[in-house]
Amino acid sequence: MSSESSKKRKPKVIRSDGAPAEGKRNRSDTEQAIEIEERRIQSCVHFMTLKKLNRLAHIRLKKGRDQTHEAKQKVDAYHLQLQNLLYEVMHLQKEITKCLEFKSKHEEIDLVSLEEFYKEAPPDISKAEVTMGDPHQQTLARLDWELEQRKRLAEKYRECLSNKEKILKEIEVKKEYLSSLQPRLNSIMQASLPVQEYLFMPFDQAHKQYETARHLPPPLYVLFVQATAYGQACDKTLSVAIEGSVDEAKALFKPPEDSQDDESDSDAEEEQTTKRRRPTLGVQLDDKRKEMLKRHPLSVMLDLKCKDDSVLHLTFFYLMNLNIMTVKAKVTTATELITPISAGDLLSPDSVLSCLYPGDHGKKTPNPANQYQFDKVGILTLSDYVLELGHPYLWVQKLGGLHFPKEQPQQTVIADHSLSASHMETTMKLLKTRVQSRLALHKQFASLEHGIVPVTSDCQYLFPAKVVSRLVKWVTVAHEDYMELHFTKDIVDAGLAGDTNLYYMALIERGTAKLQAAVVLNPGYSSIPPIFQLCLNWKGEKTNSNDDNIRAMESEVNVCYKELCGPWPSHQLLTNQLQRLCVLLDVYLETESHDDSVEGPKEFPQEKMCLRLFRGPSRMKPFKYNHPQGFFSHR
Amino acid sequence: MEQASSSLSLQAEVFQALQRLHMTIFSQSVSPCGKFLAAGNNYGQIAIFSLSAALSSEAKEESKKPVVTFQAHDGPVYSMVSTDRHLLSAGDGEVKAWLWAEMLKKGCKELWCRQPPYRTSLEVPEINALLLVPKENSLILAGGDCQLHTMDLETGTFTRVLRGHTDYIHCLALRERSPEVLSGGEDGAVRLWDLRTAKEVQTIEVYKHEECSRPHNGRWIGCLATDSDWMVCGGGPALTLWHLRSSTPTTVFPMRAPQKHVTFYQDLILSAGQGRCVNQWQLSGELKAQVPGSSPGLLSLSLNQQPAAPECKVLTAAGNSCRVDVFTNLGYRAFSLSF
Repeated sequence: MSSESSKKRKPKVIRSDGAPAEGKRNRSDTEQAIEIEERRIQSCVHFMTLKKLNRLAHIRLKKGRDQTHEAKQKVDAYHLQLQNLLYEVMHLQKEITKCLEFKSKHEEIDLVSLEEFYKEAPPDISKAEVTMGDPHQQTLARLDWELEQRKRLAEKYRECLSNKEKILKEIEVKKEYLSSLQPRLNSIMQASLPVQEYLFMPFDQAHKQYETARHLPPPLYVLFVQATAYGQACDKTLSVAIEGSVDEAKALFKPPEDSQDDESDSDAEEEQTTKRRRPTLGVQLDDKRKEMLKRHPLSVMLDLKCKDDSVLHLTFFYLMNLNIMTVKAKVTTATELITPISAGDLLSPDSVLSCLYPGDHGKKTPNPANQYQFDKVGILTLSDYVLELGHPYLWVQKLGGLHFPKEQPQQTVIADHSLSASHMETTMKLLKTRVQSRLALHKQFASLEHGIVPVTSDCQYLFPAKVVSRLVKWVTVAHEDYMELHFTKDIVDAGLAGDTNLYYMALIERGTAKLQAAVVLNPGYSSIPPIFQLCLNWKGEKTNSNDDNIRAMESEVNVCYKELCGPWPSHQLLTNQLQRLCVLLDVYLETESHDDSVEGPKEFPQEKMCLRLFRGPSRMKPFKYNHPQGFFSHR
Repeated sequence: MEQASSSLSLQAEVFQALQRLHMTIFSQSVSPCGKFLAAGNNYGQIAIFSLSAALSSEAKEESKKPVVTFQAHDGPVYSMVSTDRHLLSAGDGEVKAWLWAEMLKKGCKELWCRQPPYRTSLEVPEINALLLVPKENSLILAGGDCQLHTMDLETGTFTRVLRGHTDYIHCLALRERSPEVLSGGEDGAVRLWDLRTAKEVQTIEVYKHEECSRPHNGRWIGCLATDSDWMVCGGGPALTLWHLRSSTPTTVFPMRAPQKHVTFYQDLILSAGQGRCVNQWQLSGELKAQVPGSSPGLLSLSLNQQPAAPECKVLTAAGNSCRVDVFTNLGYRAFSLSF
């Protein structure tokens, strides 16, 4: 190839040589031709050597390359092998680690401890001799045992489940049975209502009452609970009931959103009304007052039955804004009472409970905080409203557990059960005595108005058999009129004639003598005696200021009243006092010393047996009657 | 609970108020030291008032209340008199003696209690008047049984009984010079008794004299006072000044209301009875002054003339009320002590 290339080249050269050779022709042509031939042969030899060298170089190169190539191939093969092996190693390692990490599920099982296992497992499983030495066998044995146990437990579990199913079914059956019982019981209860009433055991009623009681405001609730408890425990004649509308009571406690709606409604309404005529200030104030004095819709009614079948009906109300309780009273009797004229005030709802406890007149609100509320709406005093609202007596507040201490003003007064309980018994007893004494007085007044002083047979011993002076008049007198009488100044000055008392005038006559007796009846009759002041019109006007004997007569009925009380509960006191006055007038008139200067016989011959007519520096007449001897003596 | 007791206490309050309204103070007596006044009322209680405290310049309301009050008798205390150490009080038939020094302490008991021998046992007669006879150291009692009894204060025995009245005796007075006792009674007679002979010496039947008799009031002699030759008596008949020796009425005092107590004081005659006032009379029969008191009728006057307490020289009047009026100056009522 190199020779070919050199040949190719040569022709070129020759050609080019051929041309210039012409220039130097003859002598030197032959020497130059010979030198050119020599140089040509030399250059051809050189070219040949070059080619040879080139060839050799190429062959060496190729050889070298081949060798390298082979070696390289070998190396590559080794390399590849190495890689494979490494790869396999890695793979195997991974496998190994995987295997090593392999947690067989059996390791997750908490097997029983070895000691236990050997203790509990039966020998054919535990195979102690084999397993002791061989941990693998041991584990297998343990797993075996575990399996055994689990199978057994699984069995038990299934049994229990089935039991449970059975029992559940039984329960279902029984539940159905019971639920079918409920309507039957209800029907029995309905049917038993008439029987309950017949036997006086109103359980149903009581239950309903307790339901309603939940809506009562706290003081009424306290009253209700305490009164029911007292009635059940101590006093069968007391019955408690709740009256009023439960729905209204529930309506009082609506949630706030509703009230906001109401407000927005009322705002709308208000806007409307302002577009019309504005309501007058007076009407607004009136509404505010009505709002302030609003009563809770529910009220508690207590009925106290007395021995003679008369009943005192007490209705207790709660004024929500003022936080006080009031009471309205009514007395009904078994037979209708014909009210004598003078007995008008005795049983009137306004005054029958006045001063049940001394000083408790029920005209003022017991809650001192109310005064500020009243000032805001222009109410002067609660007494203007007591007729419709009821009286806020102090004992009513106590029964509702409300205590308004005067010394320490409290922020809010809450109803207290213990306060109510401590006052319940005394108050009930006082109420009963009050009603009974008023009814007794009522009857007595009817008789007194007809001029008969009704003296019961067990009090007859206090008086002689023959009493000539007679009661001719018995009327009520107004408080102001009593204060105006000239012979009552002492009582008025002593502060015994307040406006809570009842005043009467009795007129006793014998012949020309007229004895006027002004009577102060304290609401606390009969523990507080009636007080008499006398004025005798006979041969001049004699009162306690100018006649010691009139004073003595007053003393006989006022100071010595304890003898006249009669059997407890001393309802006979007033009538005994009046009878005694008649007897005293008899004695006075009959023992009056005869005036020798005046002609004629004594108007009243002495019929009473007296030991002595006069005694002591005041020359007292013998006013004391001695039973059973029947003579009169001095104290 | 407290309200039950408050109704009981209201009962007690009302009863107390009624008692006070119907109280009558029958008798008074000044202590020997002159600083205290004892008053006896119709309930048998005796109250001791401290005159010196009530008259002092820092007197408060409590000074006008009794220092001590105790139940002395079962019946009214009609008459009291003081010796130099004792207070003698008499009421329903018995005389009790109390030591003045002891009485101011609470819970004091009587020294002794004596009852004169009565004829009847049906009713115990009251003792309306007590009179001390210092010369004989004896006490004369008179009252419901129409007799005068003399009791020796040393021995306590009843020495004499003077009979003569036909009706019970209201009052006694002592005529110092010749020891004679005057007694006035319901029978309308004033009798003079000689203590030595124990006999009635003189009898004046007041009602038989026209100048002074007032039949519409009765004939009883309610009060007596004597100034040796003169005697003033009153009651049913008009208040009259008598000359004892001649038994003639010299002056009739124009007082319509019956008088229950009369006494000579300096040159005046003080009397009190039905009606509010303490009347001051000149011996000539003129009314010098009428000083109203606080009670509607007066039953006793007491002049504190004890020399030991000149600052307590007052006239006290008591009667148909629970108050004792104190007159520091005879012209007006200064204040009233009250039970």
